[in-house]
Amino acid sequence: MKPTTITWILAIFGAITFLPLMLAQFIMLLKPNSRQAKNLIIGKGKEWRDHTHFRSALAFAWADLLIILPLLVISIIGVFSGQVWAYVLWLALGVLSIYFSILFWVLEKAYTYPSYGWVAYYTYFWGFFLYWGIGATVYSILQII
Amino acid sequence: MNLLRRNIGSLPVGIWMAFGALLLIGLAWLMQAYSLLNWESAVNLGFQNGSFTGDASEKLLAKKEEGEAIADLIWPLPLTLVAFFGILRKRFIGFVACMMVFAICVYFPLFYIFQLWETHIQTALGATLLWGIPSILGIMGLWSNRQLFQKHIV
Repeated sequence: MKPTTITWILAIFGAITFLPLMLAQFIMLLKPNSRQAKNLIIGKGKEWRDHTHFRSALAFAWADLLIILPLLVISIIGVFSGQVWAYVLWLALGVLSIYFSILFWVLEKAYTYPSYGWVAYYTYFWGFFLYWGIGATVYSILQII
Repeated sequence: MNLLRRNIGSLPVGIWMAFGALLLIGLAWLMQAYSLLNWESAVNLGFQNGSFTGDASEKLLAKKEEGEAIADLIWPLPLTLVAFFGILRKRFIGFVACMMVFAICVYFPLFYIFQLWETHIQTALGATLLWGIPSILGIMGLWSNRQLFQKHIV
């Protein structure tokens, strides 16, 4: 199964979308209470709403680095090696990305949207994850078939 | 992996494992749906941890859990239904939907372990035993029997 132009687009778009998040999550794990971590995760100048909010952000950081990052790296290597299972991993990552987009739309939009504005929100802060998730899910299904 | 392909009745062991996991996962979505209908009763039954009648911290936890419940009913619940009936009819769409549901149900117990370990350890362990581990077994069972689904797309 040879990589196509769409494979390249999804791989590059996926890397652009997820790698900055992974970097932010890495900083979150290393220095969870630093200004840098708060600026990256919840917005410039914002504070954790309470301990529950902080614990959720920390848990997402751990889970993302333990599941999302390996899924991303292994699946990209796999799709360029022409492996079918790599598309199953892309499918998993795509569906999780859509799920997070819905979850953060419900939970966090009221806080993050005013702080970042619509351009950032509908692109790199939130939108890219939904667009990539839909693209990867549809393309992976077509490839697995 | 041969064991997972061995038939018990009309279906291979691996497919039964996937069905078992889907049934347990379906239970989770039922709990979420019930919670949205009657939140405080769901808290009393142990389905949720945060109460809207508690202190500020508990209210924030309840708000977060309510958001998760809404998201669960929008995306994973329909996927679970497609997975269940799709696998039952040996359709490829069922295989795909099932993998999608299992991916979500592997991620979230891990998230709960890190989030709730200090405060609600029983929720984290419950999610791992009821959904995380069955989902991993379901993925193995389904992948071992993927050839069953190749011929039927929808």
